[in-house]
Amino acid sequence: MEHSEYQELLASHALDALDARDAQALRAHLATCAECSREFDELSDAAALLAHEAEPVAPSDDVRRRIMRDIRSQPRSADEAPVMPLSQGLSAAWPNVWRLAAVFAFVALLLGIVVLWRRDTLSRRQIAELARQLDRQQRELQVERDNVARQTEALALLNSPDAKKFALAGTTTAQAARATFVYDEKSRNGVLLIEGLPATPADKAYEVWFIPKGLAPIPGRTFTVNNNGRALVSDSLPAAAGSAAVVAITLEPKSGSAAPTGAIYLASPAS
Amino acid sequence: MQAEPSQIADDDLLQAVSRGDESALAALYDRYRLILFGLILRILHDRHEAEDVLQEAFLQVWRRANDFDPARGRAFTWLVTIARSRALDRLRMLGSRSRFIDADEQAGSDEVLDTARELVRSETGEIVRRALRELPDEQRRTLLLAYFEGLTQAEIAERLGHPLGTVKTRMRSGLIKLRELLRDRSRDLA
Repeated sequence: MEHSEYQELLASHALDALDARDAQALRAHLATCAECSREFDELSDAAALLAHEAEPVAPSDDVRRRIMRDIRSQPRSADEAPVMPLSQGLSAAWPNVWRLAAVFAFVALLLGIVVLWRRDTLSRRQIAELARQLDRQQRELQVERDNVARQTEALALLNSPDAKKFALAGTTTAQAARATFVYDEKSRNGVLLIEGLPATPADKAYEVWFIPKGLAPIPGRTFTVNNNGRALVSDSLPAAAGSAAVVAITLEPKSGSAAPTGAIYLASPAS
Repeated sequence: MQAEPSQIADDDLLQAVSRGDESALAALYDRYRLILFGLILRILHDRHEAEDVLQEAFLQVWRRANDFDPARGRAFTWLVTIARSRALDRLRMLGSRSRFIDADEQAGSDEVLDTARELVRSETGEIVRRALRELPDEQRRTLLLAYFEGLTQAEIAERLGHPLGTVKTRMRSGLIKLRELLRDRSRDLA
């Protein structure tokens, strides 16, 4: 089973409702997974509160008396530690010095176990932390891979014999911005290489527009820029845009607009 | 002990029990006997058996207080878990599932008792019951069957005639939802 499958069993285990085989497998996993172990403890706290669903009822006073009587004749867990029988057993057969040495060795062993146990707990935590880091890095790597794939696509397009390209210039709103639109005349697939745009506000997105001469703008992709104000946007040139369209970029609400509402940041010169 | 027993935290009481402090055990008993006995009785439906199990449970608390680890959960959880598993063990031993009586039938039999029950209904209990009522019926039913009857997922699926996968999902969503509801109100919980 995988970590995620174990996670799905945690709630049922907190209610003690797994069959014996699943319960055993999960217990083994809990011993090595700090994340699941923590979640299990939380779910157990929630499960225990279900006891409140039962009506509170008073037991007879006799129960309290019986308990208090019984505990006087019952050993507690501290008294059940094996140190006592060991030293008692040794006392008859071994001289004092050996007995002392045996007790000393036993204490040393206990200390060793405690040290190992603490180290084990520590390394389990470290492993869980490393696993989280690895997971994060893998996600970042995936994003990088996607970027590389798009850049490869863009490069292929740039090398295509049918590639056409034209430049977009920053408007007065974003004078530092510039962009190149490259597209394949046959497939109409295109790519926009953009730089120098201001950072995208959290609730906004930039939107690409194709504006055929004398007609309403056709919406293209929405995108955001990276920390350096750059973006690489793949989009295909709508057939309705013909080949003499102006390409422009505006700032719009995050979900994009059907018709431009915000300021124009970049535009290609009208042909 | 200088402070009034009612003001000492559960964790500290359990720690005192592990050192052999009898008055700490008595204080824990006085604090939780109503809810623990109610829980055991709800599982066993027999006062005599339930009192016996309550006694056993507190003897276990006395012997095993050392095992309680405050870092891993609440003292309340530890106590309730002992009482519930003892009660379910007894239920299995008695083989009394067949004579299970629905809790709704059992309640409401005695008006004087009911009034007394109302008085001892704790605030925490009210918060939990309210949270439970916010769950969809089927999720709540699944949780209660597992909790009070000790049924496994497969047994619940069989009892209700629902697919096992559905029962698993309801159990998981129900408990997670309950945890969220209670987390929002956790400051109010004892």
